[in-house]
Amino acid sequence: MSSRRKRGIVLKAYGFLVYFFLYLPLLIVLVFSFSPTKTIVGMSGFTLKWYQELFRDGNLMAAFVHTLLIGGAAVGIAIVLGTAGAFFVSRASFPGKSVFRTLVLLPYILPGILMGISILVVIKALGIPLSPLTVLLGHVSFTVPVVMFQIMSRIARMGPNYQSAAMDLGANPVQTFWYVTLPMIRTAIIGAALLAFTVSFDEIVISYFLTGTWMTLPVYIYGMMRYGLSPKVYAISAIILLLSLALIMLMSRYTGRYAEVYRARAPKG
Amino acid sequence: MAEEYAIELHGVTKAWGDVVAVRAFDVQIRRGEFFSLLGPSGCGKTTTLRMIAGLEEPTEGRVLLEGRDVSRVPPYRRNVHTVFQDYALFPHMTVRKNIWFPLKMRGVSLADARERITRVLRLVSMEGYERRLPQQLSGGQRQRIALARSLVDEPAALLLDEPLGALDFKLRGAMQKVLKDIQRNVGITFVYVTHDQTEALTMSDRIAVMKGGIVHQIGAPDEIYSRPATAFVASFIGEMNFLRGRLLPDAQGAPGAQVGAHALRAARSTVPADAVQTDVLVCIRTERVQVNSHRRTEHEMEGAVRRIVYRGTDYEVTCSVEDQELRAAVSAVDWDPSLAIGSRVRLCFNGSDVTLFPRAEEEEIVQYTTEAV
Amino acid sequence: MEKRISPPRTLLRGVPMAVWMLLLVLVPLGYTFVTSFFQVEGLQIAAKVTLKNYALFFTDPMYSGILAKSMLLSLAIAVLGVLAGYPLAYLVSFRVRRGRQALFMLSIIPLWVSYLVRIIAWRTILGNKGVINSALVASGLIHEPLTFLLYNRFAIAVTLTYICIPFVFIPVYTALEKIPRNILEASSDLGAGEMRTFVSIVLPLSLPGLVTGFIFAFIIALGDYIIPQQLGGTQGIMFGNLIWSQFGFAFNWPFGAALSFILLAITVTILGLTSRFGSTEGGFIGE
Repeated sequence: MSSRRKRGIVLKAYGFLVYFFLYLPLLIVLVFSFSPTKTIVGMSGFTLKWYQELFRDGNLMAAFVHTLLIGGAAVGIAIVLGTAGAFFVSRASFPGKSVFRTLVLLPYILPGILMGISILVVIKALGIPLSPLTVLLGHVSFTVPVVMFQIMSRIARMGPNYQSAAMDLGANPVQTFWYVTLPMIRTAIIGAALLAFTVSFDEIVISYFLTGTWMTLPVYIYGMMRYGLSPKVYAISAIILLLSLALIMLMSRYTGRYAEVYRARAPKG
Repeated sequence: MAEEYAIELHGVTKAWGDVVAVRAFDVQIRRGEFFSLLGPSGCGKTTTLRMIAGLEEPTEGRVLLEGRDVSRVPPYRRNVHTVFQDYALFPHMTVRKNIWFPLKMRGVSLADARERITRVLRLVSMEGYERRLPQQLSGGQRQRIALARSLVDEPAALLLDEPLGALDFKLRGAMQKVLKDIQRNVGITFVYVTHDQTEALTMSDRIAVMKGGIVHQIGAPDEIYSRPATAFVASFIGEMNFLRGRLLPDAQGAPGAQVGAHALRAARSTVPADAVQTDVLVCIRTERVQVNSHRRTEHEMEGAVRRIVYRGTDYEVTCSVEDQELRAAVSAVDWDPSLAIGSRVRLCFNGSDVTLFPRAEEEEIVQYTTEAV
Repeated sequence: MEKRISPPRTLLRGVPMAVWMLLLVLVPLGYTFVTSFFQVEGLQIAAKVTLKNYALFFTDPMYSGILAKSMLLSLAIAVLGVLAGYPLAYLVSFRVRRGRQALFMLSIIPLWVSYLVRIIAWRTILGNKGVINSALVASGLIHEPLTFLLYNRFAIAVTLTYICIPFVFIPVYTALEKIPRNILEASSDLGAGEMRTFVSIVLPLSLPGLVTGFIFAFIIALGDYIIPQQLGGTQGIMFGNLIWSQFGFAFNWPFGAALSFILLAITVTILGLTSRFGSTEGGFIGE
């Protein structure tokens, strides 16, 4: 069995290497956000200077708020459209259904540059000026598929009999949806919302094409990257890093197989 | 004016394009009757049940509940409830909330419903479980809660779709008794779908035997067993021998068939009497075939033992007779230990145990022979 | 059960979705296609139909050359992504018992950490005064910083592979998890060693996931322009940059639209071909 153990160790070592590769850059960003030197040399002290500069940067703070607003709005719209769409695609059957599914998924899968350009071209042709609304439009294009597919996944695992059982016991379609279906997908909706928010929060390509002077955070950071690497960038990066982590931890409580177990332990009447 | 029939089906058909799942089902189920739909998978029994529940709409025909035509009425406006095979208890609700659900849909508040919930829990012997979640219950317990939930608002009939399928053997037997007792105590009409013939025979007042969407026979258990209407029904219930023979002319009003060198008299025949010399199936229950009997029987066929299977309460002896196979079920009490493979035996039976069916029905029978494998 | 068309009542529920799709998918992509046949006159886009844009792309070797090089590079990146992501997924799926969810999260987290942050990180690492060079110089292994690390295709490849690894991990892991463990037991019961079992059973059964991951990585790499712009220098111009530049100083929107449409055609073709092999089941974080 020693050759098996040897192979086991090789795989584990390789895995460790890959994880190291994945996390080292993130660690470096974290470390550099506290480094006092302006250039990219080794650590020589600890400072919160960059974080202070960050909070004094009014434009950056504004961009942060903008990102939150866009995220909230895009997710809100996505929940309504995505949930309706998820049930529609899961339950209805009609010719061309798989094409429909693919078309919905397209904005998420296609490179951002394609979607950004396409929407921009239409907007310009219609004479609409770039504004927060155009950015929102761009975000809605990919948040809807994210939510829809997450919910579809949950619907598939849920099984159809709950609806039949509810109707059989006297619940009309509205009551069935409200008392049976909705509570059962509630965690999926929350999880999908968090997921969509995370995607929207970080989105740069489409936002860049559709933004005027009203910037979201990634667009602002992108500008910082193109015109000089101030260490402020590390500070904001570190903050985003921690925020993303927090969002993911939260998300994991609402999605996946573990979610139902976790939720079921909560006492209910 | 109380309706005599809880459920009626008139010419109910369900088809999807070319596929006919249920064909022209006619039946009148009496109030308080335990009525079973029996047949192999895919025979249309579940589809029929769903049409009674309203979860499917019939393509043709009418469904009547308590005299009222409900063919186009959605399930939530029908006064029947279904117990599903996987119970379908709402996982995000406690037992109490699950059972309250049908009452809640009728506008009954939880406070007003409490007593009825407690009563129905007592009926299924699950008192004290109100606060539990479905995940915390075993299969048998979930089944009883599902039953309670369907009974709490006193529907006109209860539809059960193979409810005991997921339970193990002993538990299934216990639950059969529980179900039968509840049905008798409450006096409610049951429509019970199963593929297990023993279950149907022991529990039902009447059985409808189905295959391929067609109802072969509707009748009481003993009728189905001893006077099967088709070869399929004969094969599906109990153990039946099928021999190939040729129809003989009637003698003294009794039909007959020629099997090899033997001219056998039969008690029943579904073959027209004038179709002499056509091929027929000659059927005898295995428990009616005796081996080396000391008593005089009408017919005796010589054969050689090919296989002996011990089944606890009896032995099944398969013999080759006239180039065909004949099986005899010999009770363990009467067993002759000297019988072995190769032994030459006399297989004895009476004409009163013989039924004739048209040979064309042979492809409908469900038998498991080694040849098939 | 036969496939049948749902009643109109049910189909009505699809209207909001259909409207969304029309506005945000069909119209934009369709109009881009239309625009690709226009031309630029002075500072305006003139709606005169012409095949000039496509002709330019196909005849000028510079443009098609960039596309070819981009596709090749993207292919390499996808391969690297699979080489890193597949074993990781195998490790977490088959070799870890406890803490599996933790390791799964560990593999997913980089995906949700800001894209720009990750790029900034790699610029820091690979630069002349970056982490690698500083470490090497400080330890005396080299005297001059290595210049080949940044502002070339190597940097693009490293960074894009880094981005793609989680995208490969998820579908592969989902596919591996779907393999019933008793099949593996049966395999070893019938005498196959671990390697054999992997090659004849695990690999073929996980192929849909592998293909999906590979395709995702390829498409992401092909359509990216920020990484080549930030880390590619003058050598590292990819197709994405080409498209992007048409909307900047060059102000040749119709040409940019044509290039976009070519990218769209390639992407959709690949997705269509491999939809038979891959699958997007399981949502986006592999439930």
